[in-house]
Amino acid sequence: MKTRLIKTGLAGAVSALALSTGMAFAGEVVWWTPNFNEARARELVTKFQEANPDITVNLQITTTDGLPQRVLTALQSGAAPDIIDVQHGWVNGYAQNNLVMPLDDVLQDRDDYVPAALDYVTFNDQLWGMPYRIESLAVIYNKGHFTEAGLDPENPPQTWDELIAAAEALTQNGRSGFAITGGGEVGNTIFRSMPFMWMNGGGIISEDGTQVLVNSPETVAAVEFYTNFYKNGLSPSSTLENDGTANRRLFIAETVSMYQAGQFDVNSIKTENPNIDIGVMTIPHPEGMDTAAVLGGWSFVIPSDARNPDEAKTLIAFLSEAENQGYLTDTFPARVSAMDLPRFDDPILQVYKQMLPFGRPAPAHPNWVQITQAYFDGIQRILLGDEDAQTAMDGAAAEIEALL
Amino acid sequence: MHRKSTGYLFVLPALLVLGLLIAYPIAYTGLLSVTDNQGNYVGLDNFRTILAARATPTAFVNTLWWVAGSIFFQVILGVLTAILLNQNFRGRAIVRSVTLIPWVVPGIVAATTWAWMLHTEFGIINYMLTAPGIIDEPVGWLTNGSTVMPVMIAINVWKMFPFVAIMVLAGLQSIPNDLYEAARIDGASFWEEVWYVMLPQVRPVIIAVTLLLVIWALNHITIIYAITRGGPANRTLITPIQIFRTAFESVQFNQAAALSVMFFAVAITVVFIYIRTTAANAGASK
Repeated sequence: MKTRLIKTGLAGAVSALALSTGMAFAGEVVWWTPNFNEARARELVTKFQEANPDITVNLQITTTDGLPQRVLTALQSGAAPDIIDVQHGWVNGYAQNNLVMPLDDVLQDRDDYVPAALDYVTFNDQLWGMPYRIESLAVIYNKGHFTEAGLDPENPPQTWDELIAAAEALTQNGRSGFAITGGGEVGNTIFRSMPFMWMNGGGIISEDGTQVLVNSPETVAAVEFYTNFYKNGLSPSSTLENDGTANRRLFIAETVSMYQAGQFDVNSIKTENPNIDIGVMTIPHPEGMDTAAVLGGWSFVIPSDARNPDEAKTLIAFLSEAENQGYLTDTFPARVSAMDLPRFDDPILQVYKQMLPFGRPAPAHPNWVQITQAYFDGIQRILLGDEDAQTAMDGAAAEIEALL
Repeated sequence: MHRKSTGYLFVLPALLVLGLLIAYPIAYTGLLSVTDNQGNYVGLDNFRTILAARATPTAFVNTLWWVAGSIFFQVILGVLTAILLNQNFRGRAIVRSVTLIPWVVPGIVAATTWAWMLHTEFGIINYMLTAPGIIDEPVGWLTNGSTVMPVMIAINVWKMFPFVAIMVLAGLQSIPNDLYEAARIDGASFWEEVWYVMLPQVRPVIIAVTLLLVIWALNHITIIYAITRGGPANRTLITPIQIFRTAFESVQFNQAAALSVMFFAVAITVVFIYIRTTAANAGASK
């Protein structure tokens, strides 16, 4: 009798194990979230399950390195989870290839969202992702270096000319005044150089995706402005292999005095080198123009092949409540009302808050990744000294023309 | 007759598995290459688009350099190492095992380590060169257009030459001693022994290994992708990386499939030569 019981129990346990690893239960939501969200996501899941005991959330942690490929493979394979956190910029590609489902019915309080965040993930008048986190870059600088160079740390540069002058003054004793990026993933350089084109009235392609702007005089001037920091020796000699992380490391090592970075960089600088007195300024603009920034951030998507889309929508609706969204985000929430939470009062974040209204989504185009690759190759040709800005951007324009 | 058909019956399960694992992906790639992302038939459009891309000829030329450069030095260094390891000297066992290290280290680990060592600012190689004053300024090994491909080839040579050495060493050890004795009686010097005894005897091994290396270098993606991702300005972009980028970064699976099909045609030719050569060698040695 006893052995039989044990046997049945064992069999039950084995089949339960097989089930849980092999397939999802009805009512189970598999949610992929990046590791920087892990602790807060677990907290929210516990809260959600108390209110919804019939839905189980299976939280799986991803890393951002190589995530685009992993998500794409999952979406294409037909064996996708129910919710995935992806960057705003990826959503359009998924929507155009029918890999995710529309989420218009989940969105509540449309007016409470930063409009640019929703525009980002809208395609054919439908919403394909639910934005929950937004951010833009600003310029982080070392106040101590400013004082040493005879600059006023409380009055950082406002215009392009002032930025060049400050970078020149700061470039001394083996230090680089202003670090630009020219390596790593393409996005690093797009996020940092595109705002300069926008401020100057240029861009890579027009917002409606019909015109190539990459070799217009305004854009070329901005590209020259950006690449000259390297060509004139104001950006580190390793610029061509530096991405945002490398620049942060150089800033922490105090060999770089200013660089463009997101608010997520502030904490790691504080912990790794507490001696640095961090200053933040809005990205300098041409005389008489407004500043600009690329709006970045993360959205939830539900793959077309999700097994439990209805339960997934319930969870997304819960996570999108202002309070939960404000809790989950690593940077700023996509909802305006969530921005009032006390955690966003930190004075160092105020400049980042000021940048948000100037944040614009990157143009939505099915071939956007290839377009930015063509542009990035052009930037690298300039940095390598192969071509001047006009020639490199004409070359990029010819490539991009074929992609529109 | 009857016996033969029973034999086929027995290999059927294996054939089925092989079919699923090999034939299906190849057929699917072929199908992808002539359709668009909605699955409609578009003929050779994908081939035209990908051939017109500016990166394609660049990647093709880079691939030639990458394969030729890697093979040349891997074979020469590998054969020299094998001859060295075939000599009698103290500590030979230790040297033999140490030589194997690059080959044993996982590719991604090696690539990341080299990337760090070669970094312009933080890299130990620039530090070792600037500290004693051998060079004045750090060299941008990975960012200078003229050094980056040679550096990639050097890493690949470092990674793979032990394999050549081991294979050739095995060949050298199977050379009968009387051949050396005969050569010595005729008054051959060491280098004459190498040239007239060792190399002719291991020639089949060298040819087979070289062809194998060509196939591997053609398919190799780890080192370059982990270090430069094909940059700067596509200086190290080789065709396998272009295929990967087109598919997984640009979401153009159909164009990537078209490029793969063309690349497959080249690779299969080398594989064919390899099979013919090894089969001929096996026949000759009987």
